Amino acid sequence: MSRAFDSVLEGLRGNLLRMGGRAEAILDKSLRALWERDARLAQEVADDDVEIDRLEVAIDEAVLKALALQAPVAEDLREVLAVKMIATDLERVGDLARNIAKSAARSAANPPLPFPAALTSLARSAQRVLRRSLDAFSRTDAELARAVLAEDDAIDRAQDEVVQTMLRALERQPGAASQEVDLIMVAKHLERVGDHATNIAEDVVLVAEARNIKHAAKLARSR
Amino acid sequence: MAEPSVVREIASEQPEERHAPQSNPAVKMRARGVNVYYGDNHALQDVSLDITRDEVTALIGPSGCGKSTLLRCFNRMNDAIPGARVTGEILLDDQPIHGGDMDVEQLRARVGMVFQKANPFPKAIFDNVAYGPRIHGLARKRSDLDEIVERSLTRAGLWDEVKDRLEEPGNALSGGQQQRLCIARAIAVDPEVVLMDEPCSALDPIATARIEELIYELRGQYAIAIVTHNMQQAARVSQRTAFFHLGLLIEQGPTEEIFTNPREQRTSDYITGRYG
Repeated sequence: MSRAFDSVLEGLRGNLLRMGGRAEAILDKSLRALWERDARLAQEVADDDVEIDRLEVAIDEAVLKALALQAPVAEDLREVLAVKMIATDLERVGDLARNIAKSAARSAANPPLPFPAALTSLARSAQRVLRRSLDAFSRTDAELARAVLAEDDAIDRAQDEVVQTMLRALERQPGAASQEVDLIMVAKHLERVGDHATNIAEDVVLVAEARNIKHAAKLARSR
Repeated sequence: MAEPSVVREIASEQPEERHAPQSNPAVKMRARGVNVYYGDNHALQDVSLDITRDEVTALIGPSGCGKSTLLRCFNRMNDAIPGARVTGEILLDDQPIHGGDMDVEQLRARVGMVFQKANPFPKAIFDNVAYGPRIHGLARKRSDLDEIVERSLTRAGLWDEVKDRLEEPGNALSGGQQQRLCIARAIAVDPEVVLMDEPCSALDPIATARIEELIYELRGQYAIAIVTHNMQQAARVSQRTAFFHLGLLIEQGPTEEIFTNPREQRTSDYITGRYG
């Protein structure tokens, strides 16, 4: 049976996936600005982020309306809640891309510095988990969501590796300290992108299986 | 009144475990393997359900699913329906309600009922509430009766609105007040179980909210079973929910689970409005 609520859900999902596409694009643009030392591209990221914020506000309003007017339950309720939570994560990904773009703009104004291989690898991993978490949402695929969760530790380790590499670089080349600190910050932002992808994947499991797996390992240890 | 045309095939035909003593003290009423037939129509099929003390159990499902039929079994209201046939076993505190030593009038005093449409007697407000206690001999003198009427109307949240006009006819009250009067009448005989068959379906949102608040307040004092078509009402007022479809009990469990993560696809489809 087709329901009025189906079109509400479709609208919410559509807006969220559009927001996800924008978040992926803005992250990609901020990284290109960094790799290519392109200050103009870095500037565009700030403008693109406004569109993500606008979509978040639209989703907030649509979620409130859906809850007030449709009073969804069961899988419908989980999906509406997941849309709201994922929108918050995507908005933060936009902010992180903006921060990366600021570092890129500063970096472009300074003499070039070689990027550590671990940083480019970390960037690829962060982009991959973000894309896969959104794929998992669009297909309500708990298996793919769990694959995203499994990558989080590797991303954390990659960030640590970048930090260690840059600390050694700082010792060798203290004159480039501001750029080296910027790259440490970029690694931190990418690690946070991974965390948001993890949150999205956990929300997908909630929608698909009605299981809240957030902090599961930590909570099990504290029992 | 004519003998009800109900044939019951109970106790002796049921599997042995159905006669096992109740082990869970939280259970007030217990239906085991209950079938109801209206002529050729097999309206309820092998239903087993517990009604727990101090809780509200919501019976939900599309029209014709058997939820009101089961509710009427709990105080033998189906006995009055020509051609109705009930099999299986229903226990009230371990005692079969179809047993020879269960007087049906006594049963209905212990298991009260509130109907979809408020049906006050064409009598004064006071007499509506005093009727049951009078016929069951619960009051020895007028002051006892006054006390029961005031207590029942207070519990039903109606006392302050009617205390100065107790001699006015009950059917002069508003729809919501009439329904609360019927609840006061049902609890005046101090029942152990209160059955409610869509008690708010004819009421406006304000009157509905009053009744829901009342159900919330009464739940610690009685075992309550409510039939409702309003999913949000079931979610708001009950602690346990049972979903029926085409005469079958599809799923039962804590309300918070049924409304967040139902196990059965049919339950999910119904509560999310995909059918029914």
